[in-house]
Amino acid sequence: MLFNSLDFFIFLPVVFVLYWFIFYKKIQIQNLFILLASYIFYGLWDWRFLFLILASTLVDFFIGQTIYANDSTVKRKAWLWVSVIFNIGLLGFFKYYNFFIGSWVDFLSVFGYELKSTWTLQIILPVGISFYTFQTMSYSLDIYYKRLTPTKNFIAFATFVSFFPQLVAGPIERASNLLSQITTKRIFNYAQCTEGLRLILWGLFKKVVIADSIAPIVDDIFLNYSDYSASTLILGVSLFSFQVYGDFSGYSDIAIGTAKLFGIELMSNFKFPTFSRNVAEYWQRWHVSLSTWFRHYVYIPLGGSRVSKLKSVRNIIIIFLVSGFWHGANWTFIVWGAIHAALYIPVFLMGRNRIYMNTVVAENRWFPSLTEILQILLTFSLVTFSRVFFRSESITDAFGFLEQMYSNFSYETYQHPLGYRMIDYFILLGLFILYEFRIRRDERSPFKFKSRIVRFVAYTLVILGMLLFFDDNIDRSFIYFQF
Amino acid sequence: MKKLIIKSILYVFLILIVLEGLVRVFHLGKDTPTRFLDEHKVEKWKPNQNGFSVTGNRRQNFSEYHINTTGYNSYREFTPTKDKIEIALVGDSFIEGFHQNYYNSIGKKIENALPEIEVYEYGYAGYDFADQLHLVHSYASQFDLIDHIILGIKFSNDLTRAEYQVVNSRLALESPVNRMLKKSKLIVYCKSIGILDPPQELMYRLINTLKPKKKTVPKDDAEILKIKNENERKYLANFKSLVSKYGYDKKRFTLLLDSRITSPLFLSYLEENQYNYIDFSTSFEASDRSTTLIYDRHWNNHGRDVIAKNITQYLRDINFIKN
Repeated sequence: MLFNSLDFFIFLPVVFVLYWFIFYKKIQIQNLFILLASYIFYGLWDWRFLFLILASTLVDFFIGQTIYANDSTVKRKAWLWVSVIFNIGLLGFFKYYNFFIGSWVDFLSVFGYELKSTWTLQIILPVGISFYTFQTMSYSLDIYYKRLTPTKNFIAFATFVSFFPQLVAGPIERASNLLSQITTKRIFNYAQCTEGLRLILWGLFKKVVIADSIAPIVDDIFLNYSDYSASTLILGVSLFSFQVYGDFSGYSDIAIGTAKLFGIELMSNFKFPTFSRNVAEYWQRWHVSLSTWFRHYVYIPLGGSRVSKLKSVRNIIIIFLVSGFWHGANWTFIVWGAIHAALYIPVFLMGRNRIYMNTVVAENRWFPSLTEILQILLTFSLVTFSRVFFRSESITDAFGFLEQMYSNFSYETYQHPLGYRMIDYFILLGLFILYEFRIRRDERSPFKFKSRIVRFVAYTLVILGMLLFFDDNIDRSFIYFQF
Repeated sequence: MKKLIIKSILYVFLILIVLEGLVRVFHLGKDTPTRFLDEHKVEKWKPNQNGFSVTGNRRQNFSEYHINTTGYNSYREFTPTKDKIEIALVGDSFIEGFHQNYYNSIGKKIENALPEIEVYEYGYAGYDFADQLHLVHSYASQFDLIDHIILGIKFSNDLTRAEYQVVNSRLALESPVNRMLKKSKLIVYCKSIGILDPPQELMYRLINTLKPKKKTVPKDDAEILKIKNENERKYLANFKSLVSKYGYDKKRFTLLLDSRITSPLFLSYLEENQYNYIDFSTSFEASDRSTTLIYDRHWNNHGRDVIAKNITQYLRDINFIKN
């Protein structure tokens, strides 16, 4: 069930009303109802894969208890490995199996061994598998590191794993944040609900207006890159930056907003990464829940930055390569991760990776300084360059795209594949950037205006924007569902 | 909770009102003229209506229409006499041309090329060959005064009926409920951009779940070909039936068609039986620019130019006009 589908717009109010009017009295009933709703939400896509979620839930629920009950470090570690192997095994089979087989066949062919890839299977990637396996793994890891006491309430734990607003594409929550809320009775909070509704509206705008309206242009340019000049290819990859941002941050806003309607606060996933002043700041603002996960469970256990510079650099390379690989079973994502590692390491070596941690651009000013503008433009350009690999179907396509950019370095006017006016999209993006800059201090309050009238005007304009850019002929699924 | 529900309803209501206003101010939604059934049971537009036809979310195509006293979209009134030279273009929405300014229609383009003639455009969305011949037959006294009649025909769509009958489904668009809904420009706009399709599809889905399911057996190529051939024979039979029922003056009537989408069976029948036709397929194929609009399959300004040139050339070729 997609957040931007009619099914969801029927599902959500029904679940909301039942939750607060009928199943609100006891926490156990609240959780059982949310669990059922989550399974229906997921099962409507493909009920068979509910068994995978259930298996992941059962394994980590019992492993968590076993790790906690054991004093022996060896046994604790052994059980942790069972959890990690099980979850990574699920991911490995459903997401990476064909990739490994294909890569092995390609590798052997380099040495003259031509094998027929008969071992590849027709595997459907279960939606959300990369997200919920990481969430359940974090539970066992936190218990192992003695940061968490396991819950004995299976329904609460199952709800934590499958909570429908964030089940299919995050934010990837840690048990310390989400499970603790699930084990506490939720009380209706008017302010929290209105904030949730506002976030849902803003998320829908980003998805329907920004991401979906740009998608046909990006698809056209990446599909036919060999026909276009550098200016068009730069336009295509720049628009893809906005598309993927609108798509994923829009999804996250809807997820966070929906959770708020049920009295749950999810972590922020996007903090206006477009206004990052260097690549390090970008990673503090882009897909925050994944970056945090990797920092806590990969980077820090490897020694993080508290080891020698050389080892720290190694850790950075590992974390970015793993992060790239997490996105998909394709060499393009690994190269994308490698590019980000290459961009991050100089910032790290210069000691500038934490300087923007607690500030936003133009902190106490209306406008950014010229230096900040240049920093933002440089960061955006570097990140956008890496997206050539993120978006291309294969490494060959990505290099073909770059080669075409180099060999046909000229300007041409781009015509929309469906004949629409391109100026509409430029105006739209210009206004969007200005608005995001206006609200850059608080990603959880996109309509923070004192005046009720201004707020009302903003709501109306956002809905009008959705009408003006709605396109019923395009694929409306979310990009990150494929991960 | 009560406060949330009341405020949400209030906000939704106010937003809808403001959106209705904005859609009206920026004229985002199309106007639709009123249709009716006249004394000859000919379906047409109520005379003397004006409005704007809009296509696309952001007014990508915006054009004015004017329904004349005869009930068709045209800049001129239809007053055929023996003294003047007139031709009639009879057809569906392609001839009706709501997607173009009424003063820049195919008829006007022909008149620009041949100033001595008047072109009467009897175009109406959904008219098939039965509608067209029934119209000409019903208003024989007027059409007899018109020197030449060109009938637009699309083989696969326009010959599904063997005789004329009132199309009630089209007239149902004038039901009180539909007329009321049409008063809201926001609803008209939302419907035109497809935002109301999902709720409609959901409704059909729910209705269909209640109905007993019919088993659909996939057809093989031979069966598909058989059905196609049967249809072609049926359409040809319908053509013959309509011609014999409502009359067809081969000297004065010409068909306007695209041979690329017309059955060879039908084309050879026309040739063998001396039915004249204008085939615009070659001109469309030779065109270096698109001949249709972005949003739908109707002819754009260039497409209409090509059609007008084809008709003008044809009229010259048959010595209808001596220059």
